[in-house]
Order: sequence, then C-alpha cells, then structure tokens
Amino acid sequence: MVDAARHPKVDVRTYTEVERVEGFVGNFQVQLREKSRYVIADRCNGCGECAKVCPIEVPNYFEMNLAPRKAAYVPMSQSVPLVYNIDMDACIHCYKCVEACGKLDAIDFSMEDELVWEDVGAIIVATGFSHFDPSVIPEYGYGRYPNVVTAIEIERLINSAGPTAGDLIRPSDGTHPRRLAIINCVGSRDKRFNPWCSNFCCMYAIKNAILMKQVNPEMDITVYYIDIRTPSKGYEAFYDRAREMGIRFLQGRPALITEDPETQNLYVHSEDVSLGQVIEREYDMVMLNQAAVPQPDVDTVSSVLNISQSPGGWFMEYHPKLRPMDSPTDGVFLAGACQGAKDIPASVAQGSAAASRAGRVLHVPEWEIEPVVASVWEDRCISAQGKKCGVCSRACPYGAIEYEQGKAPRIFIAKCHGCGGCVAECPQNAITQLHFTDAQILAQIRALLADRPEEKILAFRCHWCSYGGADMAGTSHFEYTANERGLRVMCSARMDNDFIYEAFRLGAGAVLYSGCHPQDCHYITGQRVGSARAERLLKAFDKMGMTEGRFRVEWISAAEGDKYARVLNEMQATLDSIPKEQLMEEIERLRPQMEKRARRMREAPQVEEALEFADRLKAAMIGQEV
Amino acid sequence: MGSHSSSDTFADQVRASPGGEKITYCFSCGTCTATCPIQWIEENYNPRRIIKMVMLGMRDQVLSSPVIWLCSACDICYRRCPQGIRISDLMKAIRDVAIQEGYEPVRMVAEVDQRACAGCGMCAQACPYEAIELRTKWVNGQQSTLPEVDRFLCHGCGTCAAICPSSAISVEDLSDDMIVAQIREFADEMG
Repeated sequence: MVDAARHPKVDVRTYTEVERVEGFVGNFQVQLREKSRYVIADRCNGCGECAKVCPIEVPNYFEMNLAPRKAAYVPMSQSVPLVYNIDMDACIHCYKCVEACGKLDAIDFSMEDELVWEDVGAIIVATGFSHFDPSVIPEYGYGRYPNVVTAIEIERLINSAGPTAGDLIRPSDGTHPRRLAIINCVGSRDKRFNPWCSNFCCMYAIKNAILMKQVNPEMDITVYYIDIRTPSKGYEAFYDRAREMGIRFLQGRPALITEDPETQNLYVHSEDVSLGQVIEREYDMVMLNQAAVPQPDVDTVSSVLNISQSPGGWFMEYHPKLRPMDSPTDGVFLAGACQGAKDIPASVAQGSAAASRAGRVLHVPEWEIEPVVASVWEDRCISAQGKKCGVCSRACPYGAIEYEQGKAPRIFIAKCHGCGGCVAECPQNAITQLHFTDAQILAQIRALLADRPEEKILAFRCHWCSYGGADMAGTSHFEYTANERGLRVMCSARMDNDFIYEAFRLGAGAVLYSGCHPQDCHYITGQRVGSARAERLLKAFDKMGMTEGRFRVEWISAAEGDKYARVLNEMQATLDSIPKEQLMEEIERLRPQMEKRARRMREAPQVEEALEFADRLKAAMIGQEV
Repeated sequence: MGSHSSSDTFADQVRASPGGEKITYCFSCGTCTATCPIQWIEENYNPRRIIKMVMLGMRDQVLSSPVIWLCSACDICYRRCPQGIRISDLMKAIRDVAIQEGYEPVRMVAEVDQRACAGCGMCAQACPYEAIELRTKWVNGQQSTLPEVDRFLCHGCGTCAAICPSSAISVEDLSDDMIVAQIREFADEMG
C-alpha cells in the first residue's frame, strides 16, 4: 500500500466515495466526494500529538470495538496516507488538538466535503465483502454470552498489534481459555441467511487454530464443521498439519450453545455425525466463523456503476468461467470478494487480471466493440415527430439510449451490447440491429418454413444459453426430433412478437421461445424484457384458441443439453397428438389473426434496402466522435 | 439420454409423498439430531440417520423401524435446520409411505371410553394433528355423537386426554389414574 501511494503514476484517494459515473468505456467521467477529515492532509505529518491530548474515547471499529480510540484518530496504525482524522460525531470541540498541532496548523474545523470530477478510462471495483452478524442466530447466543466471539474478534485478540498485544483472553473475566471451540458455517450454507459456501472460512478456521496452538500448545481446540473444504494447492497439507498438532475436527453442526451462568463456560451441543451420537462438550470460549456477505451498500454501488448483481448481492461477472474479472458494463472490472467470497490468492489473481484488462482499455486509441449494435431509423421514430414514446430507452439494460421527447433517441454505440431489446420493443420498427435486422431474420424464418411448415418446430434460441444448450444436446448425442429448425438471435429480448406471428402465419407446427435463465442473462435484464413479451404472447395465443403446447417458452442454459432435447421431444409429441386435419384447420383458422397482428411486417424493408441502410450506418459510425 | 427412470427408488418415493420434497437438501450436518428433545429420551431416534438411510434406499430397515413414528412435530429442528427442511413433514412423508406399504404404526394412540364420553368435541378441537373426528353413531339403541381417533394420524401426545372434561379419552397405557399414581409415588419417594 505504501509502495502504491509513493508510485508516481498512482493517485490514492482515501476517504473518498464515488458519487456518479457518466460516459462509457475509455471516456468515463467520475464524480468523487472527498470527505472532510478536518485535518489538512498536506500539513499533517502523522505525529499523533492531537490524539494524545484528545479527551474523548469511543469504541475502535477497527479493533471490533474491543478497544477504545480517540475522537482524533487514524483508522489503523498502517493507514495510508498517515493522516489523522477528527470524528465529528464524537468531538466536543475543546480544540486541544489545535493547540497540540501548534506550528503545523493542520487542523481545520471549517473543512467541508469536496466534490470533484475526474476523467478516467476504466474502473476497477474492489469493494470487498462484509461479515455476517451472528447475533441473529439465537441458538448460538452471540451478544448474550460474552465468551461467544466472532472470528474477526479472535483475529484482533491474537494479533500482536491488537488490543491485548496478542494475548488471547476471555471477554467475561480476562482469563486465558484452555478449551476453545471453532464453529464453521455460521450463517453460510444456511438457507435461512446465506445459502452460499463462503469459500475461505475452512482455511481461516485452520489458520486461527494453528496460530493459537503455536502460542499455547496445551490448548484444546475443536473445530466443528459440516464439510472441510481445502481445494487449492497446499491447503490439504495445511489441514494435515493442524491435525498433527492435535487440533480436533468434529463433523457435525452445533445445534445449541448454552452457558453456565456461574463460570460463564459454554456447552456446545452437537451430533458427532461419524459416531451418530449426540455429544455435549464444555468450552471456555467459542469462536463463530461467520459467513462472508456482500457490503451493505452494494445496491448504491451497482446503481452508480450500472453493474448487475448475482443472487445474494455479489457483483455479477460477465461470464463465470471465461471473463470473471469483467463486469457486464464495458470498461468496468471486478476484483476480489465484491464479485463473490474468495480467498487471498484468488483475489490477487483476479485483481491482477482486472488491472491488465483495464490496461488494455487505456493503451489503445480505439476500442473495438461487437458489430451487432442497434441504430435508430429517424424517419420512422414517432418521438422525432414530437409524440411521447421512450419504449426503447426503457428496454435498454445498459442505459445506452438517451431519450428526449421530440427528438429521435440517441444510442451510444460504445455502451450498446447488442441484445436487440429496443429493436424488438419499438412499436414503430424504427430501430434496427446490425446483422440481426428484421429483414434478415424474416428471411430465415421464411426459408426454414418453406417446405411442409406444419411439420416443423421453429426454435428461437438466444446466442448465450439456449443455442449453447442445443449445441450441448448435439455434442452429448442426445437425440431429439429432426423436425426442429433453429434460429439464433443474441438475446430473448430480440425475439420480436412479429417473428412469432410470422412463423405461425406461414403455418409453423410449433414455435419454441427459449433463452437464458433470468439469473444467467448476459444482457443484465434482457431476459426480463423477453420473458415479459413471451408471457403476453402465451396469453394472446390462448385467447385465439391455439392448442396448448404449440407455442412454448423455456429457459435453457448452455449446460442443459438434456433439457433442450427433452423440450423438443415433448413438443414433437404434442404435435403428433394433434390429428393432421385438425392442425391444418387450426393453422388456417388462425392465419388471418396472425396476419392482422403481424401486419407491420409487410412494411419491413427488403434485404437490399436494409443492406443499403447498414452501409449508411457504418459510414456514420466511423465518423462518430466518441 | 439424460432421462433416468429412477422413480421407483425409495428416496424418490419419499420425495413424491407430500412433505418429503426437500429430502435431497439434507447435507447431514446433524443439527436436527442434536436439537431433538425425543433424542434425549430415545437414543435410537436420529432424524439425520433416518434421512441418510432413505437416501441409501434402506427401505425395509426404515419402514419397519419403530423410531419413524416418534417425531412429536415440535419443529425446533425446523427452526434450526440450515437447509430449511421441515423434518416433521419429512417424517410424516416417510410414515405415509410406510402405511401405503402396509407397515403398522408402532406408537401409542389415544383411545375413547365411549361410556364416559359426553360428545362435547373439545378433544377434536384440541388435537394438533386433526386426528379426531366427531361421528354420529347408534350406541345401545341411542343416537350419540362420539369422537373417533384416526390411528394413523394420532401421535399419542395426550393433548385430548388433558383437555377432556369427562376423562373419557386417554393415551393407551397412560391413563390419568396411572399418571396420578406415578406422581404420588414420586412424591412419596421425595418424602
């Protein structure tokens, strides 16, 4: 940290929050709130005279409130920069610190927060994680029994720079514990609180146990666990070492901790799963190894940066295997536990990867994007004619469309990822997506349904998931009906109503509408746009009297080849169950309604026209200043 | 093909029975067993082990075991289970399978003394398992409303026996008289 702060090309801004982010990859404008320390950083030399004379003591958050600090303080002794700070919530304005500071004159009580704008090319989010508060688990008694402490409290108590200088004592009476229990998975792998495994706590329990055992080899340490997870290199050897040192590992999650009110010793009730016996053991102290949880302000950070969250509140990566350090927003990268609970080696690896990703943005004069971006056809847009609309802007998951009534919306192509949601949603067909134009997709639909359409199952697949699912079905040799005809678009958001109407108008036997599961969507909220539309279509077809199952909506991931095959086979079975005459009668009966609903498709540009438009657009894009 | 026709395994049978849906969630942490007040009295009752045995397909051992009838549905384990499994429901699902397969319940059941019963219906209202139903019957040429205990639903908790104003219902082998006699004996022992 000190090295980073001294580096000529690194500018460390501590005690500063990001308030707003505007712009796009390579051209972000970031508004920062530099919070007031009431100490002028350039003048403070970190001597600490102000803290010495300050009469106010408050609990020290860094020491898990196990020790006091003054109202004039540094958060911790290794703080970078070493600049003191005055806690205005606690300060009584005695001004003794001003006197003590003397000639340096670094203390300024009139200081206020400053808002500054900075231009940056890339952003790395490394906001870390927080800890689960175990007091909400009543059976463990944290907060009621003084000798039940959290892992972080133990961490401070055994740290030689901590409040007890590394002397581990019981909070109730200050004696040294002889028998200590460590309970793993407190609030993690627990569907009542956090369903995930917090990744590093097994190793953390072993580390703390070894540290305590090194200081006091007589100590009786027992680790309660559901499963011990030591998957990385060298971790299993560390676990072996702990057992060699005499640390006891007991499989079974404690159900209850009770306290002896006189001695304030603790009784841990659990089942020893290997013995199948309920056991109750007495300890002097219990350490709860609590879950890693997202920071409490993740919602604010994700809305400021326009990055999405995985279930639970961790920041979502672009791809869990191939791009774990990229956020879905170009130019914003993720490092460390803000993306998911992870240990130090994994955080360092991800941080380095994120830094090199950011470097890639900073070192090129031009940034290449996928060529599948959307563009507005101004003469068709009703907003440009002065009417109220804005449908496109609401459908965009990236905030890439700037809408103002009376003007054609402006699409920032650098922000556009090409899901096609706006294209499909636009009631005027005034937006088109390069390489996925209406004309191109309609031409595919017509070609796929050219011959005996009533026997065909037309499958709309999104590029990322259900197309991959179909691929997986193929490579796994899962057999499915040969009547399937697949059609790829980037996202289910692009699957226009009119495509479905057109398919049925042409007499398709069945249509599958498939995409990612909502939590896997590769376009943040694109799947939601697609699924809302699919729901409306299901209702409309039901009202028209279409046989159930001819239009089917399924969310299939790239790993679910078996599901893809099963769905297609089920659809084939549905088709087979309808007598041919009845099916033909139904197709004929519904055709006028489909034609009526899909009427604006007739206005769709022909391929030549679309190509010409694309050329115009490309020319415009090359000229566009970003 | 990815479809596997394993609907005939014991675990799937329990899973298909109402209340048994979450059986696969169990990761054998033992919280339920360490929580269970029945376990303090009857060491052989180990919910975690029963779940494991179901998952391993030990059909006969589980269904013929007297311990599957012991859960009193206090649901303390449900509040502590990290996987949110309602073990009382799960045990009920296992018992339902046992009944379907013709295994006899092994537990105490409430019995009605028809001569003493006044037909007030308080027992039916008090029963936490809805095991008591009022039926109109002809007894000795007279029409009377009498409670009937469903022996498959009854857990033998004795709530009905405690509430009955006529002492007309009791859990077999544990009549009011016997409990009173036990208390007296205790009192004598204590001096």
